[in-house]
Amino acid sequence: MATSTRLARTLTRSSLRSLSKPPTTRRYHAADSPPPPPFSPAESAILSAALAHVPANGFTSTSLRLGARDAGYLDASTNLFPRGAFDLVNYYLVTQRLALKDSVQFPAESAGGGARIGVGKKVRTLALARLRANAEVGVVGRWGEALALMAQPTLLPASLAELARLADEMWFLAGDTAVDASWYTKRASLATIYSATEVFMTQDQSTGFKDTERFLDARLEDGMRVGGFLGGVGEWVGYTGHSLVNVLRSKGVRI
Amino acid sequence: MNVSTTKLLGRRQLLLSTRATIRREPYRCFSCSIRHAQQTTPPPGEPGNRTTHFGFETVAEAMKEKKVATVFSSVASSYDTMNDLMSLGIHRLWKDHFVRNLNPGSNPLTSRSPTASGWNILDIAGGTGDIAFRMLDHASTLNHDAHTRVTVADINPDMLAEGRKRALNTPYARTPRLDFVEANAEHLDMIPDASIDLYTVAFGIRNFTDKDAALREAFRVLKPGGVFACLEFSKVNSSLFDAVYKRWSFGAIPLIGQLVAGDRDSYQYLVESIEKFPSQTEFRDMIQRAGFLVPGQGWEDLTGGIAAIHKGVKPVEGKS
Repeated sequence: MATSTRLARTLTRSSLRSLSKPPTTRRYHAADSPPPPPFSPAESAILSAALAHVPANGFTSTSLRLGARDAGYLDASTNLFPRGAFDLVNYYLVTQRLALKDSVQFPAESAGGGARIGVGKKVRTLALARLRANAEVGVVGRWGEALALMAQPTLLPASLAELARLADEMWFLAGDTAVDASWYTKRASLATIYSATEVFMTQDQSTGFKDTERFLDARLEDGMRVGGFLGGVGEWVGYTGHSLVNVLRSKGVRI
Repeated sequence: MNVSTTKLLGRRQLLLSTRATIRREPYRCFSCSIRHAQQTTPPPGEPGNRTTHFGFETVAEAMKEKKVATVFSSVASSYDTMNDLMSLGIHRLWKDHFVRNLNPGSNPLTSRSPTASGWNILDIAGGTGDIAFRMLDHASTLNHDAHTRVTVADINPDMLAEGRKRALNTPYARTPRLDFVEANAEHLDMIPDASIDLYTVAFGIRNFTDKDAALREAFRVLKPGGVFACLEFSKVNSSLFDAVYKRWSFGAIPLIGQLVAGDRDSYQYLVESIEKFPSQTEFRDMIQRAGFLVPGQGWEDLTGGIAAIHKGVKPVEGKS
């Protein structure tokens, strides 16, 4: 009796929770169903209006307040964002990540004929497109502020999680289907390279961010070289190990 | 002289022995609130079947308001000392954090509209002005906003009198920025619809007879986009810390109340009412049911969940 009432209570509570708070994140990619909207309509209205004030006022609570006022809300309504300016940074990161699949289109592979684009090339295109978005929205001059917010110890886990999701999104869109241990190394190395390039971009004075592009190419090449070197080392260790075992076996050692 | 004193003492003894039948002048003393409660009878004509809880007791709804009034009348003067002793001074940190996080006041340098007239803040159950003075200080010194106004509402005239007395030591006494009204949070008839930017209630909503009615009333008086913010005791997350906390609250707090304020029963009610208050998720759902949008998960735990800040934003019509 007691168990059944408890069960019923748990059920109603969980159903209440699912009613009140629709899931805003999904931990996998599904090609046939669109992901749930990550922000509620009120949050999106205020944050997107606030983003327009970032070039002038930076990633600050002032931008948030001005955005709230533009969206028809009050200064007080910025209490909707418990992490303050970081919620504005997070909104920018999430919306840009989700926009990536529409902003970059690769020709379908079955169309064939033309040269097939390699996964590495696609990743480069995606990373570059994501970096260019910073310049297009006009936040690149204020990106140092965003990086400083993201590096705050209490906000660092959320920032790193978002970086991991971005790297994952890029590899997914590039059509990478690896299911071995390289799944991890690929994402880790791309996240490292991307964040390094982002820092470089805040100091880039060249026209059209040519230097950033060169920096990205050099880092990707480094990554490939390191990856190739590590692969070579692994192959050598594996070969030598096998040979050693076989030599020992031929001498009668029971291995 | 001496004779009269002896007479008085004798009279007092007599009174004590026959306290159930003889009414006497209310004054603050040990267990005075419970005697009050025993003497009060429910108003006639009320349906006596609707009940609510008063601490661990179950009482008729019509009685709770009176009982709570008795408690707070008896603790008003020692309110601050007692809070310091019971929370080891941490309640000041909670209140400071609460106000700093709300960030009241609009900086006239960054707000573009010249007609900006500051925030209109309603502080419910804020009789002693603890939150109100902090709000005004924050708005004036941090946001350079000299227009933000606070209306302090409390159901209890004794608590309001304490707040008025304290206001004299602040720069806001006798200015239009600070106002005191005696009001029941379930019927804020003197506050017009959609007139308030920020509705705060700190350590008060626990004592309301009908919390849902108070939330609906908050929703009515807030402007679209206005914020409901509540600082209240809540449920401790860690079971180990909870055991220590329960030991403190049920063992030490009534004892401190007895020694310092001379009133054990009021503080016994305090700890019992904390125990009866809904958990973080339940209260979050109550706020949502009243029509508010909640930020993030809906609350912020303070000191491991001993207290929690709940917020809700009234949606703007047609925008959400």
